[in-house]
Amino acid sequence: MRDQQFLREAVYQAAHDFKSGRLDRRSFLVLCGMAGVAGMSVASGDAHAAANEIVLWNWGGTSEVCHGKAIGEPFTAATGMPLRFDTSGPLQGKIKEMVDSGNVTADVCDADAFDAIALGRSGHLEAIDYSVVDKSKVIDGFAWDHGVSIIFYGYAFMYDTQAYGSNPPNSWADFFDTAKFPGKRSLYKWANGAIEGALLADGVAKANLYPCDVPRAIAKIKSIKDDSIYWGSGSEAHSMIVNGEVSMGMIWQNRGKNLEADTNGRYKLVMNEALAMPGAYLVPRGNPAGRENVMKFIRTAQDIGPQLTLLDCLGMTPTNPEAFAQIPAEQQDYAITSAKNIANVVFNDPVWWADHGGDAVNAYLEAIS
Amino acid sequence: MPVVLRSANTYWLLVLPFLAAVAFLYLAPIANILWLSFTDPQPGLGNYAKLATSDSLARIVWTTLRICLLTTVISVFLGYALAYAIVHALAREQRWMLTLVLISFWISVLVRTFSWLMLLGHNGVVNNALQATGLTDAPIAFMRNELGVLIGMVQYMIPYAVLPLLTNMQGLDRRVLDASRSLGASNRQTFLRIFLPLSMPGIFAASLLVFIISLGFYVTPAILGGGKVLMVAEYISVQILVTLRWGTAAMLATLMLAGVLVLLALMNRFMKLGALFGGGGR
Repeated sequence: MRDQQFLREAVYQAAHDFKSGRLDRRSFLVLCGMAGVAGMSVASGDAHAAANEIVLWNWGGTSEVCHGKAIGEPFTAATGMPLRFDTSGPLQGKIKEMVDSGNVTADVCDADAFDAIALGRSGHLEAIDYSVVDKSKVIDGFAWDHGVSIIFYGYAFMYDTQAYGSNPPNSWADFFDTAKFPGKRSLYKWANGAIEGALLADGVAKANLYPCDVPRAIAKIKSIKDDSIYWGSGSEAHSMIVNGEVSMGMIWQNRGKNLEADTNGRYKLVMNEALAMPGAYLVPRGNPAGRENVMKFIRTAQDIGPQLTLLDCLGMTPTNPEAFAQIPAEQQDYAITSAKNIANVVFNDPVWWADHGGDAVNAYLEAIS
Repeated sequence: MPVVLRSANTYWLLVLPFLAAVAFLYLAPIANILWLSFTDPQPGLGNYAKLATSDSLARIVWTTLRICLLTTVISVFLGYALAYAIVHALAREQRWMLTLVLISFWISVLVRTFSWLMLLGHNGVVNNALQATGLTDAPIAFMRNELGVLIGMVQYMIPYAVLPLLTNMQGLDRRVLDASRSLGASNRQTFLRIFLPLSMPGIFAASLLVFIISLGFYVTPAILGGGKVLMVAEYISVQILVTLRWGTAAMLATLMLAGVLVLLALMNRFMKLGALFGGGGR
């Protein structure tokens, strides 16, 4: 039994080496033959394909096209490795399951920074190699051991100009003030951003936001519960605004531009106190393309060109400080790190979310349902 | 005798590989998940204690049971009327009616859910028509609340109620009904005293089926409930994918599975389950 265990581990290791190009095909197959693993022949075909490409696990939609254009094209031009996509959404639980089951099919995940911190701690991620990835190309404080922020996305809100014509809301305090600004609200269903928004509305200063006082935030959220509905996906948030279901709607900032166009300017985006969320690239442990290749990919994503293309294509904001000054005029209103907005946004603390996110989400769900 | 025995064994041999595959690929992972409910994050009954100590968990379970029960009652009631109409229609009409029921059965739950939003939503066809005709001056909140969830779920479940009821009603001996009428019973009396009691097994089968399937609803409450109607299935998925409380999720899954098994066992005490679903009843 122990021998078998050893052989199996040897084959796994070999498959890993083979996938990352450290072991040639023949030696790998000989080893498989020795171990008597017929089933491995299937895996070897898989591995052969995987050794020469990077699989990016993201959220689908236009992000596939945009990542392909922004990062895939320059990366392939430089390394000859194509970029492939898994668009099923790398939720924390799914990444954990993938690594635990030993069947890792993605090289890099377009996830949240708090996922990188939590999963890095639990040993599910490869460490970022900062001899390849450039820490100076990330705004201070947004590069961690097991994840590096490539873009910011944000929670902002939009309001109906017809409902609040001459006296528009301009802060989370206004968003939560249903007496002064009557009408339905929509909030994000998984607590993120809503907790911070509620605390800012309740008078907590930006600097004292973290650690978040969850009970205080929940109380504030409950105070507008009867006037609120909650969305779980970007398209739901979008349709709640386009259909006029809400007078004020929390929204991912990058959708603001499209929504202003879709509603013919009836709904307007408020970027004041928008919550800047660091999206992070993280690498599942034992990724098929190997650590070296994927680090090169991440480095490509840090370049100014790809960052600005992502901004233009997806509305995701650069994290490379050198890119901030080059944000084009027509994106200034919507980009979190543009000169126009950067002083007025609030940066999320992913360490707090990694530590307390689970409890916060459950408390929030309990409060809204 | 030996011949019979041998042939029985041969049949078992044919089925055995599939049984083994089911046991290995289906039962083993389920057992593994159920095991998590006792071991994650710490060994013990901690996850089950949460049911008693956490108001929110108890409330989610209660919401789920309440909505599923309501869905069951309404779907079976409407399904009964539909099945009754189909059974008594002419053969040609019967085929059409059944086709219509089945077509709705085959449309994906996601499509149906979003269709409801387009029909009954804030800016939906119905609300727009009501406002255009001056019947209401503000949109009625059909959706994004518990009513919306019920409408969506009932519509989805009606075919599941109709099919067992139809099977049952088609199997009834019509001569009993004729006998009742010939003995002077009114239509109402014939229905209440003959048809309804005879269709009770169908009602039980339909209720059981609808209730059990309702327990697993996820998409409909998530979308039509506007985030305010949290049912067990969605809560389980959040605990697995977002908050990583796999022990809690496994506990709730175990609870649901046990609940369904207890229900089935209870029903089996009162009637042969095989007969309910069209089997020989042995």
